[in-house]
Amino acid sequence: MPKNIPIDPIKTFSKSVLKSSGIPVHQYQKSIQEELKIYGKENLIELLRHMYIVREFETMLNSFKTKGSYKNIEYIYNGPAHLSIGQEAAAVGSAFALKTEDKIFGSHRSHGEMIAKGLSAINSLSRNKINSIMETHHDGKLISYIHKNFNNTEFNDAEMFLLIGVLAEIFMRELGFNKGMGGSMHAFFTPFGAFPNNAIVGGSSGIAVGAALHAHLKQNKSICVANLGDGSTGCGLVWEAMNFAAMGQYKNLWPKPFNNNPPMLFCFMNNFYAMGGQTLGETMSWDRLSRIASGVNPEQLHAETVNGSDPLSVADAVIRKRKILLEGNGPALLDIECYRFSGHSTTDTNAYRSREEIKHWKSFDPIELYSQKLLDADIINKKNLDNIIEKVQNQIELLTSKVVDRELTPSIDIAKKPTIIGDFTFNKEVNRISKTADDLLMDINQVNQIKNMKKKSRYGKTSDGSLLSGMRAITLRDSLAEAIIYHLSNDKSLIAYGEECRDWGGAFGVYRGFADIIPMNRLFNAPISEAAIVSTAIGYAISGGRAIIELMYSDFIGRAGDEIFNQLAKWQAMSAGELRLPIVLRASIGSKYGAQHSQDWSSLLTHIPGLSIVYPATPYDAKGLIATSLKSNDPTIFFESQRLYDKVEVFNEKGVPEEYYTIPIGKAVKRKKGRDITILTIGASLYPALDASEELINYKIDAEVIDARSLVPFDYDMLISSVNLTGRLLIVSEAVERGSFSNTIATNISRFAFNNLKAPAIVIGAPNWIAPGADMEKTYSPQSDDILDSVFRDFFPEKRVNKKGLRKDWNFLELAKKGF
Amino acid sequence: MTDIIIPNLGNEISEAEITEWLVGAGEEVEEGEVVLLISTTKTALEIEAPVSGKISQINFSEGDLVQVGDVVGQIE
Ligand SMILES: Cc1ncc(C[n+]2csc(CCOP(=O)(O)OP(=O)(O)O)c2C)c(N)n1
Repeated sequence: MPKNIPIDPIKTFSKSVLKSSGIPVHQYQKSIQEELKIYGKENLIELLRHMYIVREFETMLNSFKTKGSYKNIEYIYNGPAHLSIGQEAAAVGSAFALKTEDKIFGSHRSHGEMIAKGLSAINSLSRNKINSIMETHHDGKLISYIHKNFNNTEFNDAEMFLLIGVLAEIFMRELGFNKGMGGSMHAFFTPFGAFPNNAIVGGSSGIAVGAALHAHLKQNKSICVANLGDGSTGCGLVWEAMNFAAMGQYKNLWPKPFNNNPPMLFCFMNNFYAMGGQTLGETMSWDRLSRIASGVNPEQLHAETVNGSDPLSVADAVIRKRKILLEGNGPALLDIECYRFSGHSTTDTNAYRSREEIKHWKSFDPIELYSQKLLDADIINKKNLDNIIEKVQNQIELLTSKVVDRELTPSIDIAKKPTIIGDFTFNKEVNRISKTADDLLMDINQVNQIKNMKKKSRYGKTSDGSLLSGMRAITLRDSLAEAIIYHLSNDKSLIAYGEECRDWGGAFGVYRGFADIIPMNRLFNAPISEAAIVSTAIGYAISGGRAIIELMYSDFIGRAGDEIFNQLAKWQAMSAGELRLPIVLRASIGSKYGAQHSQDWSSLLTHIPGLSIVYPATPYDAKGLIATSLKSNDPTIFFESQRLYDKVEVFNEKGVPEEYYTIPIGKAVKRKKGRDITILTIGASLYPALDASEELINYKIDAEVIDARSLVPFDYDMLISSVNLTGRLLIVSEAVERGSFSNTIATNISRFAFNNLKAPAIVIGAPNWIAPGADMEKTYSPQSDDILDSVFRDFFPEKRVNKKGLRKDWNFLELAKKGF
Repeated sequence: MTDIIIPNLGNEISEAEITEWLVGAGEEVEEGEVVLLISTTKTALEIEAPVSGKISQINFSEGDLVQVGDVVGQIE
């Protein structure tokens, strides 16, 4: 809603026709002689050799999958093999046109693209640089293996490094680029510009856009490429990503020199099939894939359909698009038409396509066509060609024979290090922020909203003990704002975005005033694209940046499901700790807006390994914990309750310190000491639980109240020592009871403190149905009376107190049997 | 006589602070003219004159806390 882009009704309603310009289809016409002039003989031959390497590499995998052997090597490979036999020209042609610093992101079918990118990087990097890359990677283990095992061979050690790094990764060996934690569909090696491949169709699209945003903000003159399948044009994220890269704001609103679009190329490796569904004519609406670009922006993403059976046609297109991108006029889209001769996977029986079709395409085999082209033009002779082929085959055979050997090239011994995958999951690193960002628009202390905060009391009570209004004392909203603006103004690598984050200050006003301080390129409104918001943050972070993103309502987590569950949570472990994802995802837990806006989904995310999860309930904790989250190099989900934004600090008598401070993640806090029962609360449930604990005093029940603050990791020490003393545990949260994190804690405490328990641990959450509208909300989230009822019913039945809560007569077993 | 009322300020917000009166008692105002700035814990808001007329009464001054529904002034 920038006020400088007015929407004029007269203009809006005037009669016109929207025009789109044509999209070029197979317009490439350069002769081989012209190409020879551009690239030179050696490079044209090198291109062919790279295609052969990719082909032979995948032929080897195919052979293992289908026959259990390759040449004389026997090996059973149990993992996936999505081969791209037939698509080599697309991979190699594109890699040929890219520079080492350009980043590619791939799909499940990206061995070829990754190898091609690596080979191209090896050809262009200096020997010194290559040496230092190889020596630093995994402490030089892979390169010393190569020097030990292949010292007297004719093969370039850097090529062996690349091919073995990929193959060992596919075979899940410790020498693999990601120690075997990624495997076939997730392999990558960033020093050569090969960034993560993704087993989720379309998953790379948004991540690549985030990386392009990073390149853009760093102004480092490189581009990012998402290599996607044609099937991914049916994925929501891909459309979100295209829009995100094409948004109007870059050119219209961003300050110089960032008033250009991020350098992003969407490269569709269009083989016409998505597993067994045919995209063209069956599952998709387009007649040519490139047509989708006309739905994105007036430039139609500079889209083109190019011939993916000719590496030179692909290289030509990528070079031209790259230029457009570096001029700031992206994003661009290429529809690279090609054909995979191999099945989708090795169990594919080709039920969906005819033999004739496959046969027909065989006459367009890119390697055959290109070899013939070079022979016809006398760029290579038959003997040299045969030499190349033979050498490539020997190279692949030799390295394969060593990699399959489990003694020589073992997997990580999980039996020996049973928790090592856990160790890869979190890096627990802390980022140091030191200097003030040099791009601030205004001194923080001159901004009204910040000045107003300075006038407020730091503590939420007056000297006579009465509660101060949120207008007069620092609220949880203010305390979040203080820590976040501290980070934004002291760490230029940090960007903040989400829906309505700029002018509006975030839907709940946490960022109010920030737009006066932080330039638009670091604080901007995102489109209503929750998936792309998370996905781009991941790409931005793995490129070296940091991001704090907002999902407005935690109910919208569903819209970013894959990006949170499979990407944000997994990339650190899938990279064996190589990648860093310093991302804070803020999500508020709503109220008053009914079933789709009032869910506490903190439990849902605790189920996904790989995320730190915090949920503070007080201003003091919110400030300290958001600061720690922002310093952390691990991905952190930060829950906020809308009911608590206006809470003032009543626990910490010194109030919320004005200075910056941090609170460790994973530490709970005791809000009230007691001896008879431990009440553990998660998030906003702290307040009704405290009310209940006050009331319990009248019944001579002395309750201890613990506020969890962090869910992952969770402070079991404090809880266990409390329960060891009280012998009773009641856990209260607003998450629906079934499958909740509260139940996990209850189960664990039954194990860890069994000897001291006087009764089973009890969980109170929201009932297992929808959250009703505002006026009925109190029937949903646990109230003080519900807590009291449970204390009397489940722990102190002898007290014979009249129950008052709405659930007092519920038959919990009957409800459970009915599915509630 | 028409009241100038503190409107509903959104979810979980019940009070606001009078930031600034842009008009004084006795001044003529047009319907829709911004007469008052208020701020909540979350945001700043502009309050418009509900009708045209003369400001006959101002009930709260700058810095005062007001609740949703409070009559902060009147127009005659
Ligand atoms: C989100 C998601 N849905 C389904 C799958 C299963 N799957 C794996 S590959 C594939 C087809 C993808 O087709 P396309 O994008 O055209 O790439 P291609 O396999 O042709 O290279 C499917 C359906 C998946 N991995 N991810």
